[in-house]
Amino acid sequence: MRSSRICSRCTLRDALIAFALAASCGAFAVEPSLAESLLSGMARTPPVSTSFVQVSYRGVLDRPLVVSGTLRWLGGDRMQRDIDKPFKETAKIGDGELSVQRGSGDVHRMPLARAPQAGAMLAGFRALLGGDVSALQQDFTLSAQGGTAHWVITLAPRTSQLKRQLASIVIDGRAHEPRCLTVTDANGDSSITLVGAMAEAGLRSAAPLESALAARCRNSQ
Amino acid sequence: MTRGARVAIWFVWLVLIAAVGWGVARHLQISSDLRDFVPPARTADQKLLLDEIGKGPGSRLLLLAISGAPQDRLAALSRGLQDALSHDPAFAQVANGGNDLAEIASNLLPYRYLLSSTLDTHRLDAAYLHAQLQQRVEDLSSPAASMLEPWLKRDPTLETLKLAQSWAPARQPKLVDGVWFSDRGEALLVAETRAAGFDPGAQAAAIASLQKHFASLPGAAQAKLVISGPGWFGVEASRNTRAEADRFGAITTIGFVLMLLLAYRSTVPIVVTALPLLSGAVVGFALLALIFGHAHGITVAFGFTLLGVAQEYPLRVFSHRRIGVATSQCVRELWPLLATAIVSVCIAYLAFFASGVAGLQQLAVFTIGGLIVAGVCTRWLLPLIVPPTRRDMAATPGLAQAWHFLAHLPRPRWLPWLAAVAGVLVVAFAPGQFWQNDLSALTPIPKAELQRDARLRAELGAPDVRYLLVLRAPTVEDVLALSERIAPRMHRLVAIDAVDGFELPSRFLPSAATQKARQATLPNAAQLQAALRQAMEGLPFRAGVFAPFVADVEAARELPPLTPEKFERSPLGARLESMLVRQGDGWVGLGTLSGVNDPAAFDALTQATGGMVHLLDLKASTESLVMAYRHRILIALGVAALLLCIAVTLALRSARRALHVLGPMTLATLLVLVVLRACGIPLSLFHLVSLTLAAGLGLHYALFFERRTGDAREDLRTLHATLVCVASALLVFGVLALSSVPVLRAIGLTVALGVAFHFTLSVLMAPAEHLRGGP
Repeated sequence: MRSSRICSRCTLRDALIAFALAASCGAFAVEPSLAESLLSGMARTPPVSTSFVQVSYRGVLDRPLVVSGTLRWLGGDRMQRDIDKPFKETAKIGDGELSVQRGSGDVHRMPLARAPQAGAMLAGFRALLGGDVSALQQDFTLSAQGGTAHWVITLAPRTSQLKRQLASIVIDGRAHEPRCLTVTDANGDSSITLVGAMAEAGLRSAAPLESALAARCRNSQ
Repeated sequence: MTRGARVAIWFVWLVLIAAVGWGVARHLQISSDLRDFVPPARTADQKLLLDEIGKGPGSRLLLLAISGAPQDRLAALSRGLQDALSHDPAFAQVANGGNDLAEIASNLLPYRYLLSSTLDTHRLDAAYLHAQLQQRVEDLSSPAASMLEPWLKRDPTLETLKLAQSWAPARQPKLVDGVWFSDRGEALLVAETRAAGFDPGAQAAAIASLQKHFASLPGAAQAKLVISGPGWFGVEASRNTRAEADRFGAITTIGFVLMLLLAYRSTVPIVVTALPLLSGAVVGFALLALIFGHAHGITVAFGFTLLGVAQEYPLRVFSHRRIGVATSQCVRELWPLLATAIVSVCIAYLAFFASGVAGLQQLAVFTIGGLIVAGVCTRWLLPLIVPPTRRDMAATPGLAQAWHFLAHLPRPRWLPWLAAVAGVLVVAFAPGQFWQNDLSALTPIPKAELQRDARLRAELGAPDVRYLLVLRAPTVEDVLALSERIAPRMHRLVAIDAVDGFELPSRFLPSAATQKARQATLPNAAQLQAALRQAMEGLPFRAGVFAPFVADVEAARELPPLTPEKFERSPLGARLESMLVRQGDGWVGLGTLSGVNDPAAFDALTQATGGMVHLLDLKASTESLVMAYRHRILIALGVAALLLCIAVTLALRSARRALHVLGPMTLATLLVLVVLRACGIPLSLFHLVSLTLAAGLGLHYALFFERRTGDAREDLRTLHATLVCVASALLVFGVLALSSVPVLRAIGLTVALGVAFHFTLSVLMAPAEHLRGGP
């Protein structure tokens, strides 16, 4: 069904957020000529964590949604995202399952396995942090551009299943630090997640325009 | 007759048997419908049991556990098997934890406000909608957002998801990689067959198909699939029984052939002795096909056992042949006695026909038809194919000495009377259960498998096979309303641990009344628009984004309530279908229960509903049916015994002679009972049928020993024939008595004991002066 297929996207998004945070926690030299060389230096030792700010632009909403908190990669296929503001929520991915608990309410669980591609993406994510670029390339076409001052890695989905849900994933960074992760859905909705120093600097507006935020990711002062 | 003619007749006979057998096999349906074999149900529960036996929701479930591989492989195998089985028509549904109930619920999307209990406690007003929309805003930031987003415009209160959650099993194993896993790390699945649980043929086919699906999955060779559940046990039991019967069959066939060679020093008996019996069997089947169109599996098994008597007819002929006398002449001399035996037994079996139980009537038709045909074949066909003998069996070395030994055994006249009195006392007063009411005790499941079944059942929260909650009401609507009414009481029973879990029909489909009550609370479009406007204040939703929701609610206001027929066409329909049963003028709802800890706690529920709801103990109901059935058999056997006495007395034209025949038979039967009782073996139907066969064989021994020929050599031939018959029966049934399968052991032990007692008593109780007057 449609919703479950799309569910995998959140895994993907989180995987890539984790990927970004893993990158942000370690130092890596930018080789703007090759995405592969950027990624192949990514193997990290868990657990790693970073604060994040996520701004979602959704078709059903007339203004962006902003949440902030902490992202953790716990190793293997386990990760956790804690939202502190504007409400408390803990989301965990592990054992092929996504569980979400808001406040002290019930834990809602859903299997990632309902969408077969979720497993593939989780594998891609693990390969990424394990430094295995070839696994990631099964699902995505990687490209990179820019220099030390600003680099961009773009992941374009390869499989038609992924393409039905996802337009692209763009990671902006500077020097050895990823800064923003922009996930654009096939239906045009998007979310921009600021990580590391960018997240700590915070937003300048309560409801930043998408274009303004994107520009900030690119022109990182 | 020339040798060529004999061989030609033999061959034609064989071909005829094969042809009739082939024709019958094509037309005769072997049914496993237990209803053929039990007396008409008297109580409503028995009736329900007969209607539902094996069709009930619990008995069609197969519990599956996959182990022996890494966790991710097991999860992949579980998904693969689930996918394969969900496309297999033999299975109604397959669950492994990964099933998407939301997808099922979406099929019933228009009905969501009628099915979900939300409207029982809430109105779609501004306050409720605001609280819901506030939560949706938060949902849109969660990783699950993308799952909810497509529903949002149509279903902002997430009724579809709530429905899906309410249909999910109350107790589930833990999910790993999106599929169920046991605490021991096995991937768990539940498959529901379309076939009834106690339809062994269909269950075997479903299980074979399941195993084939599993084997064809990548990586299945390294993993192990364990199956459990009523269907599996049935298939296992019949496979074990058949395997053991085949094994013993091979041993006894070899033994029988060797014995015939030893007894007759000729190969002729080997190639012809089976023909009368086979002819009787195929004609018996043909009669069943013509009269009933089908035969029950138990009829066939019992019938074959009882027809075993006919094996004696040709053996008698071979033993009584004389040098220089045509076989036909010998058969003619034997015929009056053989005919007496056949007619007496047939008259006795008529009692089965009068029993009124379809299975027993089939048994009567099969055995009477079979015995008459076997007798007729022995009388008129057998002499045509048997070459003249060159050997008189009376001259068998050692036979005269054996006669001498038997004739001079002490025969105290008081001994039979003492044995009879002592026997009656033992049978009446020996401790222990007299009857075996538990049919499953005859095909027991190994303890390890039972424990595993209990463990898997507990882990999966699968329903109990023994108990069902029965809801009786005049209409389906009433059943559903009753089901809704008792749901709170059932929750209380769970709270006090009387039962671990339950599933009522109303969980899937509320009554029309409830649906209409919910429908009545739905606001009209204008009201809903106004409430939504108010609810959206301060929230970031775009104006007009919930137009599909408003349209759906408006449509739901006009829907006719969802009926069981319509619900049953949905993917979850099979679940509801198995829970709603028409019976007579009324309807029955079946609630499944898991982990019934305190059956007595349900009495209060029964009282509170005025008897409309009660706990059905399938085991107790089955046992009551078995008892009723045995009652019929006992009456039939009693009448049969009486008819036999009359027939034998009339045939022998002397009460005294009849006593010499019937006395040993009766006492031997009693002594078999004594041994069984003394060993603490409870009697089952199989024991009764075996006793009947043994009595039939005993009748032959007694009749032939009682016969006055005045010819010493003829008496020796009688002894020869009887010894061969006794030895062959002891061989066949004695080996069976060693079986590990209780059914086979029951038959083997009873018949072997019976043959030994019948033979001994026939000798000891034969008129002494007649024996001693011999050689």
